[in-house]
Amino acid sequence: MLAQCTMDLLFYYRSLGLSLVIEVKDKAIFYADFITAILIRAIGQLLQVADIQSLKSLGASKFSKTSENFPAGDIAALVYLWNPLTIITCLGYSTSPIENLMIVLSLYGACRRLVPLAAFGLVMASHLSLYPVILIIPLVLLIGSGLDTPPRKLFLQPNHGDGYKKTNFSWRRVVLFFLWASVWALYVLVLCSISLKEYSGLGEMFKRTYGFILSVEDLSPNIGVLWYFFAEVFDFFRDFFLIVFHINILFMVLPLAIRLHHRPCFLAFVYIAISSILKSYPSVGDSALYLGLLGLFVNALADMQFSFFLFSGYLGTLLLSPVMHNLWIWRGTGNANFYFATAMAYACFQIILVVESVSSMLNHDRALKKGATPVAKKIQ
Amino acid sequence: MASTPETEGQKPKHRPIVRIGIFIIAHSFIVSVVCCTAGVLALLLLPVLAKKTYVSENALMPGSAIPMITDQDVSGANNFINELTSLNSKSQSLNIEIPRLIALHMANLGGEVSYHMFQNQPNKFHPLHFFTSTDTEANNVNQTCESYATNTVGIIRAPRGDGKESIVLVTPYNPVNLSPNETLSLGIAYSVFSLLTQVSWLAKDIIWLAADSQHGQYNSVAAWLKDYHTPSFGGFGKLHDDECHISNDIIEMEVSDTLRRAGTMAAALVIKVANTGEAGEQDALNIYAEASNGQMPNLDLINVVSYLAVHGQGLRVQVDKLVSLLDSTWLKFIGEVFETVGKIARSVNPQWKFGISVKEYVEGSATLVSSLYNQALGVPTGSHGAFRDYQVDAITMEISPKLFSNSKGRQTELLFRGGRLVEGVIRSVNNLLEKFHQSFFLYLLTSSNKFVSVGVYMIAFLLLVAPLPVLAASLFSDTIKSYVKSEKNQPFKSWRWLYPTKTVFLVHLWGAIISLLPYFIYQIPDSQPTSRLLIWASLSLFILIVLGSFFRARSAEWALLKSVTVSSAFIGLCLMSVINFATAEIGALLLVPMCLMTKPWRVAGKVQSALNLVLVIIGFPGATFFVVKSVLGFENGSSLVEFWYWVESLWAWNSATYIYICMVHLPCWILCIYILLHPC
Repeated sequence: MLAQCTMDLLFYYRSLGLSLVIEVKDKAIFYADFITAILIRAIGQLLQVADIQSLKSLGASKFSKTSENFPAGDIAALVYLWNPLTIITCLGYSTSPIENLMIVLSLYGACRRLVPLAAFGLVMASHLSLYPVILIIPLVLLIGSGLDTPPRKLFLQPNHGDGYKKTNFSWRRVVLFFLWASVWALYVLVLCSISLKEYSGLGEMFKRTYGFILSVEDLSPNIGVLWYFFAEVFDFFRDFFLIVFHINILFMVLPLAIRLHHRPCFLAFVYIAISSILKSYPSVGDSALYLGLLGLFVNALADMQFSFFLFSGYLGTLLLSPVMHNLWIWRGTGNANFYFATAMAYACFQIILVVESVSSMLNHDRALKKGATPVAKKIQ
Repeated sequence: MASTPETEGQKPKHRPIVRIGIFIIAHSFIVSVVCCTAGVLALLLLPVLAKKTYVSENALMPGSAIPMITDQDVSGANNFINELTSLNSKSQSLNIEIPRLIALHMANLGGEVSYHMFQNQPNKFHPLHFFTSTDTEANNVNQTCESYATNTVGIIRAPRGDGKESIVLVTPYNPVNLSPNETLSLGIAYSVFSLLTQVSWLAKDIIWLAADSQHGQYNSVAAWLKDYHTPSFGGFGKLHDDECHISNDIIEMEVSDTLRRAGTMAAALVIKVANTGEAGEQDALNIYAEASNGQMPNLDLINVVSYLAVHGQGLRVQVDKLVSLLDSTWLKFIGEVFETVGKIARSVNPQWKFGISVKEYVEGSATLVSSLYNQALGVPTGSHGAFRDYQVDAITMEISPKLFSNSKGRQTELLFRGGRLVEGVIRSVNNLLEKFHQSFFLYLLTSSNKFVSVGVYMIAFLLLVAPLPVLAASLFSDTIKSYVKSEKNQPFKSWRWLYPTKTVFLVHLWGAIISLLPYFIYQIPDSQPTSRLLIWASLSLFILIVLGSFFRARSAEWALLKSVTVSSAFIGLCLMSVINFATAEIGALLLVPMCLMTKPWRVAGKVQSALNLVLVIIGFPGATFFVVKSVLGFENGSSLVEFWYWVESLWAWNSATYIYICMVHLPCWILCIYILLHPC
């Protein structure tokens, strides 16, 4: 209830503030943020129900009690909405809220096992920014085997055999998902080709959108690290490093998928975080999304290390980076290295966040294993 | 029992970097004491560590050409000065006559002349001006011809240039009350201008701005720069009434009312002549360089000027220094210590040359303190400050003759010297192919030919603030450990910091609110400075109480609260060190001991509590202001009024220091008091 009130309050406050400033067409971005938040909240509720259920069936009452205490969906939605990064992105009329909406829409669709919706979200998100393509793995896992659960082998332990319902991987749904995805992709491409007929057709569109993303043509400074690297790199190495940097994202996809296959939502969060670190034109809007999604796992990540360190680091770098930009571009007394230093620090903090959240999720699973077996001593 | 070997077994798992971190955190007290002492020591060592300046950009080649200024130029300048002086004694409407005379002479020399008319814009309060640009809206109320001031601008087009770059000469003068030193500075500019119209080597256009400083020297230059950089469509002259224009029918020449432009500015020189005689044997040249928010022009510009002044014209170059520090005994004592250390070091190894004499040290520190103070205030020291807002390197060169006399011979000598100096600087800058970029932008001067670069002074600052994150981490980990021991089953142990963070955030929000209050206080008509100050103080207190009672903070652990406070202070200080180093350094000297020492009085011993109390009292910005004033021996006016005017000047000049005080220093001060009074 409290969360809803706060959300309402924020909604009115922001709509009042923004309706004075922006025109109607820009409001799409602003509504996109709210729909995203509502969807995140729904995902959180689904996740929580599933979590409590599986914990009860495991008999880990300690964990299920804390899981009931904290409404993960509300927390995640509020974190997403109140995040200064979200507000800044919204005020800057960036289109990343719409990309975020599409990503969250596909996740929501997969959580509810609404196959057409999930496929639509995925197709639109990857149409808009290409990187969400890698989300196909968590989506397939979600659709095939359902929401996040503790590792399956825990259920197979002899003393918990009674509570365990065997959930099969439903290939039928996955095939359906792929069918729907290809239908939506075809549909989008046909629409694009119709609207681009007067210009140069689809080939030009791919070159200007995906080509632009993949070949890092625009080297204007952003919060990522690639612009600096590709401004420095020799031209004859450029293609090589382009491949290296893009393979970098793909390298992590498979190992993570194997290790975290039982928690597809968390896997999706990790993928989003990694791609927002390594993508060619990152923005704070991407960070806003994964920070919001982080709130979904608040119960599992209760013992996350370095949380205060990360908070201070994020705050410090995010305040420092506009000042460095000002020093370099407007005052002319600094140089590109000043700004790039903050970009590097930001990337480091993001990496620490991903590493720590993954390791504390794995620790959580280990603790569940101990907590579930009545003989073993509970550790904190 | 089972968990003990397990935790021991886990210990070697830590990565080396984490182990180093744990080691440092475990010895946080020693680290804090050592780092703080080293930081203060490094600050005191800065005059010793200062390096000699050198001209870094090869293209400048100062003094490689023989000065070309001739008797003809100087005698022309003499005539010009005589005409100005006679006009000054005769005429009534000086603020029209003098620009006209200057324009006439400029045109006769062969320059393109235009007038630039502007109105005085009173300084307004823009708390966020640091990040935003100046707003261009002019309030066109109650315009009279009298309220306009007229800058006269003469431009020489470079015979060898493409008109894309220019060098600016500025001579501020007050037409209502023209003093002899201002006429002399106009004369110097005239002689240089007269020479430059004839030379063939010019590659950059020359702009001579005779700035009408009846509304202040800074304002006239700033107004001209703003119009120069704002594209105006449909003619600049349309803004003004026709009556206000200086009619140029009488004089048969072309004076344009539209603003004439040359290229982007490579450098700007403000030429002034001091009206007080100098006591020394030589004529002296004072260099002023500080622009808004502690920004400095490129060091190469200062190097060129001081090189040419010393080696070319035999002037004694000096930089502003705090005179009252020259006689201080403790500074002399420190200087003697460093001198002896230097001597001992030299006797051990003759190659170590870091000792300097006591006199040098004291003078160096006096200059350094003044340099720090001027940068920390964020108020420009002259009209050159206006140029820095447009990324143009500019300095003020103030020539102070040893004895000021109106005798003809002395005047001619000064014209020669000043003219040659300016000519040499222009010739050097003229050689530049790019903007000034080779040398330092971030430096502190310890004398006219010695500087401390950013790489050196940052060490002092970083040593000073390094204990903050260490202390925060040690407090944090101690609290978390105590949680682990006391209540085993409580989850979210590592998220406990969220409650104190809320408190800290609220106090910083309060800081942001009170930094905006003066804007509203100014809406109250007819209030005295003292009453304004009291309204501000009482409103701030009221808002603090309201915020505190609305969002009643759960009485968090003081250690966690201190940890969060210390980290916020660290972030704030680091941020400020990038914006304005001098403010951050002075702020760190005040904040760091206060933040490190503070402890609830029930926990701390009597001595520490007393020390905390003293630190907190000194840490309040108002108290600091008075303490510094009395220590450095400035004269005391009515204290509260003086303080109000000081704060007023900070926000009138859009100084980032004001924002720092309100949004970092004051909140940390409040939090320290809160911790001090914490009931535990």
